[in-house]
Amino acid sequence: MADDKDVLRDVWFGRIPTCFLLNQDEVTEREAEPYYLLLPRVSYLTLVTDKVKKHFHKVIRTDDAEEMWFEYEGTPLKWHYPIGVLFDLHASNTVLPWSITVHFKNFPERDLLHCPSHSVIEAHFMSSIKEADALKHKSQVVNDMQKKDHKQLWMGLQNDKFDQFWAMNRKLMEYPTEDGGFRFIPFRIYQTLSDRPFIQKQFRPVSPEGHVHTLGDLLKEVYPVALPNEGSSIPTLPVCPLT
Amino acid sequence: MSLCVLDEDKFHLCCQLLLQLSEQLGDGWSWEGGQEGYLRKTALRSVVIDSSSVWDYEGEGADTSCPSRSEQQEGEQEQAAVDASADTDSIKGDMEDEDEDDGVCVASAGSSQLLQYEYHILHSCSYSTPVLYYRACTQEGRSLSLEEVWSSVHPNYRLRLQNSPLNTITLQAPPLLGQPFFMLHPCRTEEFMRPVLQAAQDQHRPVNYVLSWLSVVGPVVGLDVPLKYSTLLHPAAPPGSTEPG
Repeated sequence: MADDKDVLRDVWFGRIPTCFLLNQDEVTEREAEPYYLLLPRVSYLTLVTDKVKKHFHKVIRTDDAEEMWFEYEGTPLKWHYPIGVLFDLHASNTVLPWSITVHFKNFPERDLLHCPSHSVIEAHFMSSIKEADALKHKSQVVNDMQKKDHKQLWMGLQNDKFDQFWAMNRKLMEYPTEDGGFRFIPFRIYQTLSDRPFIQKQFRPVSPEGHVHTLGDLLKEVYPVALPNEGSSIPTLPVCPLT
Repeated sequence: MSLCVLDEDKFHLCCQLLLQLSEQLGDGWSWEGGQEGYLRKTALRSVVIDSSSVWDYEGEGADTSCPSRSEQQEGEQEQAAVDASADTDSIKGDMEDEDEDDGVCVASAGSSQLLQYEYHILHSCSYSTPVLYYRACTQEGRSLSLEEVWSSVHPNYRLRLQNSPLNTITLQAPPLLGQPFFMLHPCRTEEFMRPVLQAAQDQHRPVNYVLSWLSVVGPVVGLDVPLKYSTLLHPAAPPGSTEPG
């Protein structure tokens, strides 16, 4: 794990330059200026956009304003996906900065989950951490952690504190050396060209013969159309649930 | 413990059995989505919704997800009182003894509404258990909010749910459809299923994991599981038969 520290830091500090624009149909008291922000790939839209809301609330009629939601080229953006996943899924070919449209009306009930507070994001995040540990350690590590440890994980993410986060997360990333790896590797492959939003299956880190599995092995097993020699160029985004 | 592990094949088998019984009983379950599909049922329910009731469903802090073991110790006394068998009557019995005035819920009078419920039972490969998803909407097609769903849960279950690690209701997007559904969190399912499955094994009795699980979690969200399922599964042995009854 110590050797990977550079990789871990690069992943954590990944940013997407974004330009937030108010939806043209919103009634404003004066012209709405766009708002620019560097979004952390590992975080969630509703966690990092309080300033965006504050900025646009200055120009719209706030007594009408409902819950803020985001859209890119007509597609409502699911806040419960990590930001990096949203970008790779919907906008990977776009010229930067990524232009996101901000709405305060007509919340798309069928497409988006409501996010009335940060505690909802925390619950969702912790739920993902727990599900990942169910796959890695049959939930033993996460259940043996104290509530304050869980809180530290969350606070680390919320406040963008790499060391604070990883002080706890490293426990979730350990395994007994004799096992050679986790029970199963937590992963999800998100896709747009399908009814099913993502692929998630049980996948062992080591083959029965003792070979360490690679990303290519994973794709071959669960998403073979992604591999070059299958002749297809569908973009894929293997993403671990933040572990 | 492989006893409590419900892999995908076993899940399918249990569902097929449940579907057969459902057809005999006219209970309305169907299978959707093909190979990696799910059980589905819709139902109309007359429910008292009071969206203005002061209900802090989040409890302490923001943790609507399942508590960790250390948190569980705090609720252990209550937990001990919960008979984690599939016998919902015994669970209800415990709850009725509780002093409901201790709850944080201010149940004010609400009007009765006819709601359309849709239930999905999926298999979770992460937890190796079934998972219950559902959504509810009014006759006019308006979806219920999480607050309204909580206020429609029977008071007998509400206090238990809030403090118990048994299950929690959250708003999620299930893997197949991606649309917002309510979900009963599966992380404690193995815990309450273990005594059921162990007892069945000890008594050499066949048990349908999905059906037993459903009879525990279903009533919490207004899903009725008729007792007849059980009698169809274990018909009384006819006189003179050598089969165990």
